[in-house]
Amino acid sequence: MALSERYASILKTVSKPGRYIGGEFNAVMKNKDDVRCRFAFCFPDTYEIGMSNLGVRILYDVLNRHPAIWCERVYAPWVDMMEKMKTYGIPLTAMESGDPVGDFDLIGFSLQYELCYSTALAMIKMANVPLLSRDRGEECPIIIGGGPCAYNPEPIADFFDLFNIGEGEEVLLEICELYMKMKREGRYSREGFLREAARSIEGVYVPAFYDVSYHEDGTIAAFTPKYDDIPTKIKKRIISDLDTVPYPEKPVMPYIETVHDRIVLEVYRGCIRGCRFCQAGMVYRPIREKSPEVLCKTAKCLYENTGYDEISLISLSISDYSRLPELCDNLLSWTDDAKVSLSLPSLRIDSFSEELMKKTTGVRTGGITFAPEAGTQRLRDVINKNVTEEDLMRAVGIAFRGGKGNVKLYFMDGLPTETMEDIAGIADLAKKVVGEYYRLPKPQRPYGIGVTISVSCFVPKPFTPFQWEKQDSFETLLEKQAHLRSCIDDKHIRYTYHDAKVSAIEAVFARGDRKLGKALALAAEEGIVFDAWDEFFSYDTYMDIFARTGIDAAFYTTRGFGLDEILPWDMIDCGVTKAYLKNERKKAYEEKTTPSCAEHCNGCGANALGGKNRWCH
Amino acid sequence: MVSLNPNGFYNLRFRFRKVGNLQFVSHLDLVRTFSKIAVRTKLPLWFTEGFNPKPKLVFSPPLSIGVESETEFLDVRLTQYVDPETALAAMNQNVTEEMRFFDAYYAETKLSDIAFISYEIRIQTAGVSEELAKKCQETLLADTVLAVKKGKDGEDKTVDIRPGIHSLTVEEKDGALLLYATLSSDSSSFLNPDLLIRVLKEKCNVFAKDDPTEEFLSVKRIAMLDKDMKDFR
Ligand code: SF4
Repeated sequence: MALSERYASILKTVSKPGRYIGGEFNAVMKNKDDVRCRFAFCFPDTYEIGMSNLGVRILYDVLNRHPAIWCERVYAPWVDMMEKMKTYGIPLTAMESGDPVGDFDLIGFSLQYELCYSTALAMIKMANVPLLSRDRGEECPIIIGGGPCAYNPEPIADFFDLFNIGEGEEVLLEICELYMKMKREGRYSREGFLREAARSIEGVYVPAFYDVSYHEDGTIAAFTPKYDDIPTKIKKRIISDLDTVPYPEKPVMPYIETVHDRIVLEVYRGCIRGCRFCQAGMVYRPIREKSPEVLCKTAKCLYENTGYDEISLISLSISDYSRLPELCDNLLSWTDDAKVSLSLPSLRIDSFSEELMKKTTGVRTGGITFAPEAGTQRLRDVINKNVTEEDLMRAVGIAFRGGKGNVKLYFMDGLPTETMEDIAGIADLAKKVVGEYYRLPKPQRPYGIGVTISVSCFVPKPFTPFQWEKQDSFETLLEKQAHLRSCIDDKHIRYTYHDAKVSAIEAVFARGDRKLGKALALAAEEGIVFDAWDEFFSYDTYMDIFARTGIDAAFYTTRGFGLDEILPWDMIDCGVTKAYLKNERKKAYEEKTTPSCAEHCNGCGANALGGKNRWCH
Repeated sequence: MVSLNPNGFYNLRFRFRKVGNLQFVSHLDLVRTFSKIAVRTKLPLWFTEGFNPKPKLVFSPPLSIGVESETEFLDVRLTQYVDPETALAAMNQNVTEEMRFFDAYYAETKLSDIAFISYEIRIQTAGVSEELAKKCQETLLADTVLAVKKGKDGEDKTVDIRPGIHSLTVEEKDGALLLYATLSSDSSSFLNPDLLIRVLKEKCNVFAKDDPTEEFLSVKRIAMLDKDMKDFR
């Protein structure tokens, strides 16, 4: 049987076969003889999750707009499918052509969370490409990593030939252009191509071209380029003008239900807030907005090309968009008639209003979510979450009067300077929310009330003011979780928390250096996949792997990093300066807040990257 | 004759296929997909009332995952009359090859009038011969054909599927078994072709190897019939 037939045949024997079929409406088909560069865009998780990722949609569209490039999608087969493919000798294939991924010119991985690393490596193996960059021959595809995790690429440096640092729309095209040019001119070699890319394309990091040496205590002694024509610091790339950069208007329409099965409209990039734990808020700076005119045109076009009945406005904090009323009014002028609803996720507590709630008829459920992040004002000042208890009470009051009886509150535990008092503050705040509900006159509360406290564990992330902080030990986190539970004495309050063990492993990979390569290689050898899925995550397995590869997890988690230490990710310039981050850290310990960029510029340094925008100078 | 339904809508019927990889799309997913396809066509759709309005779509009996079809029906409610040919073209612009639309017309029958469905079933398995084909046919046309079926309560129960088999032939062709079966399909006595396969597995030793790259099954609907055994329209 041919590969495609064998593939179709095993589909009858696996769960959710609709994940693997391709052939969706709007999927881009090209003739392979007409293209000069075949790009396999891999998402190291399931189809349902990968199809919902906006970054992948954008880059798939950008690459396919180029007539000589054919970009195809690849997702991780679920474990039952992986098993079958192994048994019957079927390699990893791309959705559009069904061709083996190992035969492509370039393979790109979207790295959204650290716990996808094992799955990414499993996919490289399934593609029959050598796992380690240094073992790949001239005929092997070039493997590129990008996405938020590329801001600290060091733990996976051994497996990737090249990283794209920052927004990918332009860089990926430049990489493909260079590849095609060198092939056409007959001067392509792996080494030559990577060297040329590292030298001439801004935002390209080729880990193999840099040496890292360590002190005896395991900290980094030096990070040195091997050649003097490649940059010592890799500057992140941004798109200058979001109004003119292409945006996907014909997204691939999945047959099966995906996580975000709706129109996704990206409104702006960056964030004016500066919460001190938030990586996205720092690395996506400077703030660049799209104009309502462009957004409305795109929305209409997307509606006509998809038939979706929901438009979701996406950004880090939608209410900070400077022209939100204009945008909403404009969209509402036709969405109601078309029976399309608007949804505004990521609403901030302090900007939640009755008007906004009414506009977003799309909030169909009886619930609403807010993220105070910390239980006391003191700790909220430390993390620079500039919302007060009054803000929260006002917001939930509006929600209750608007008929929403379920409130979900997001918090974090293990934050720097946190005490048991701050933990108790979480329960206290939830109780006050319940109290706010019962302050409504009886006829206004015909439905019940439920408050869910959802607590995740703080992970100190690169390029945040808290990047040097230590993570609470596992035992401390357990104590805090137990304390919180003991503080809750109201039957309307439900408490859920994230597994502290997951956060510890996340921290190791988020903050790790190249020494972790050995551990990940071993994990790949042991067949570990889908760590982001509770049913597959195993703390003990990772601890065992760390022990066998000489890794001390505490070095990256509970130790904390010295202010003068060379950090694994120091070779990346994300725009925001280290001096700014240090000063923000200092202010955190002084419990001083920093105003948003809407009030005035705080001099974070990201404006040096340029960009057409509103807030920076 | 096109007349406005007393409820205030026009019922436009489409006949389409669902072949190839689309056999792996469940009925539920198909329904969701069609809501979006219908919106893309810009036809004057009649929406359901309520908090979450959706175009009103009615389908012929659901297909199981793993079954293809050359003939499926979809009824779409419209608020205005649209030329069927125009509607047909609009549909075809919004689907892929595996889901072509063949006809569009204002229907006078109800989809619940479908009484029988004909299937073409190909079984690629070890030891195919004319004798095996004969044995399979005899087995399925015996006076009683007992099959184990999952009941609504999740419990297995044994049922006689013979009354649901209207006609059936099995032959050997190109090294495979080729079955043609016309099965009862009104809502009270719908017979899933999967039960036939189960009987053959048990009694005639097909698919004994359990290797999907060597043994292969394809099931396809080829016609829908009314109670007089005429092509349903
Ligand atoms: S440069 Fe100033 S305005 Fe721009 S993001 Fe940084 S702090 Fe905000």
